[in-house]
Amino acid sequence: MGWARLPAAEPALDAVATGATAAPAATMPAGRAGPATDVVGLGRWRALGFVTPGLVLIGVFLVFPALWTLYIGVTDYRLTGTAARAPQIVGLENYRRALTDPTFYRSMWLTLVFVLGSAVLGQNLLGFFFAYALRPARPAVRRLVEALVLLAWILPSSVVAFLWIAMLDRDGGTVNVLLGQVPGVAWLIEYPMVAIVVFNIWRGTAFSMMLYSAALSGVPPSQLETARLAGASTGQTLRDVILPNIRRYALTNTLLITLWTFNDFTPFLLTAGGPNHRSEVVAAYIYNTAIVGGEMGYSGAISLLVLLVNLLLALVYLRVARVRPA
Amino acid sequence: MTSITDTAPVPATRTAAGAPREKRRSPSGLVLTLLAWVVGVLFVLPVLWMALTSLHSEPAAATNPPSIAAPPTLQGYRDFFGAGAGTTPWPSLANSLTASVTSTILVLLLSIPAAYALSIKPVRKWTDVLFFFLSTKMLPVVAGLLPIYLFAQSVGLLDNIWLLVLFYTSMNLPIAVWMMRSFLAEVPVEMLEAASMDGAGLTRTLQSVVAPVVMPGIAATSLICFIFSWNELLFARVLTGTVAQTAPVYLTGFVTSQGLFLAKVCAAAVAVSLPVLIAGFAAQDKLVQGLSLGAVK
Repeated sequence: MGWARLPAAEPALDAVATGATAAPAATMPAGRAGPATDVVGLGRWRALGFVTPGLVLIGVFLVFPALWTLYIGVTDYRLTGTAARAPQIVGLENYRRALTDPTFYRSMWLTLVFVLGSAVLGQNLLGFFFAYALRPARPAVRRLVEALVLLAWILPSSVVAFLWIAMLDRDGGTVNVLLGQVPGVAWLIEYPMVAIVVFNIWRGTAFSMMLYSAALSGVPPSQLETARLAGASTGQTLRDVILPNIRRYALTNTLLITLWTFNDFTPFLLTAGGPNHRSEVVAAYIYNTAIVGGEMGYSGAISLLVLLVNLLLALVYLRVARVRPA
Repeated sequence: MTSITDTAPVPATRTAAGAPREKRRSPSGLVLTLLAWVVGVLFVLPVLWMALTSLHSEPAAATNPPSIAAPPTLQGYRDFFGAGAGTTPWPSLANSLTASVTSTILVLLLSIPAAYALSIKPVRKWTDVLFFFLSTKMLPVVAGLLPIYLFAQSVGLLDNIWLLVLFYTSMNLPIAVWMMRSFLAEVPVEMLEAASMDGAGLTRTLQSVVAPVVMPGIAATSLICFIFSWNELLFARVLTGTVAQTAPVYLTGFVTSQGLFLAKVCAAAVAVSLPVLIAGFAAQDKLVQGLSLGAVK
């Protein structure tokens, strides 16, 4: 399977995972070039014994279902009816259908809008804005604001879905009341995509904010001071001093929030993909096809296509991350 | 007579009175800070609305926008926890606690040795294993739903909380291994070498060298795993029924059946959120280092 062969991108991912700090070089010899180090004499067998139980559990609950999905994807398996009892192998029929199905392309397009709008632009920029604006603030103040923004990130999805449905309600929702129109706009029905994009920005900004906050604290003060003495404007300082320093963090952040947002199921709790499929991002599309529509075989094929897109995204980012700033 | 040398020189960073001087701030910086506060308040409004409404009586909760002056009451909480609604949330809360705490303990027991072995590399090609762990997080979770459902059905584990315990353990394990690895990387190799020079065995090394350095990391990892397990809704909704349903699933049903009684529902939402809020704020400082897989210190 494709995703098991990720090591091709290993050196770059390692660089991303360990970040721009110097620590990894000192504490963890990079395995790709140097000899294996085993300073405490753990030994090969004991080490294998340490790792195997976790691998077995992951095999049963993550890899085995994935392989099963792969198999289901070439059958006409359905939740009910004859095809449920004796599914037939149909070869690549499901893939042919998906690749010619406008609803599949629509859900991919909506996902692209959702990921770009809410994660790559929304969470990224707002998170950076928070981190940048709070930089001069006292640590206690910064911590407080971070905690407030963090609330949205920590709450269970069942709770946030209830909150947003209640606040956006057409008749008694607080948003319409504050806008002074009751009954007002049925936000989730008239603007479903805008609603889930704004919702996801609210939900996820905390992570980007905290990551950028950590990144900005690593920008050398001497460079900032030099820029100030040279009379650089805020824009110039951002472009020439701050951005080059946090570039790697920005890439790591964008990769993580893209993958999370791509597979996020929470928008479904707000709109169920509707009305009329207008907010049916892929996670909702797979759920609606498989669990609601009962077309297991078809949804298995879609799942694999989505997986490939995820993998592609990760590889693109890693390729970009590999290019070190001059 | 006072000579000029009697007064101590005042540093430039202090006022004449000796108090620290306010750092000069540009007007644009002030506008930014102000804007950050405004957006921050907007962020917290829904949560504030929930907390406020949960403390109102039902008639007061029905007014919009919620009045701050309404007398606070715990009636909503009494209605939620009491048997007033015909159902009680206690079994679902107990289920959530079982699933989250047990799976977190299992994750720690499995991930700490694995991360330890993986970070000292006694075996070549070890990083491949690490990336295998990570790659499993790229699977669209929805796609795994049906196979796991069918699997559970065939082994008779549907509506059984232990199925969720095992599933949450494997769901959190990859991220926990990476997090633990990032925290273990902070143990200086020199310290390990010194311990081995002094003849310390594996147990001794773990106890005296590794544990003190990584304890905060272990705490953060377990809090994050706890949050993820407690909040998980999709699988809990499909894999459990009346017996093993978790608190978020119970809450979803409660919202559907009692949605008109806003005070009661908000009280329920607060009650279900409280454990993860506490865990989240406790882990706040290590959250980013953990979740960015060590990319950020």
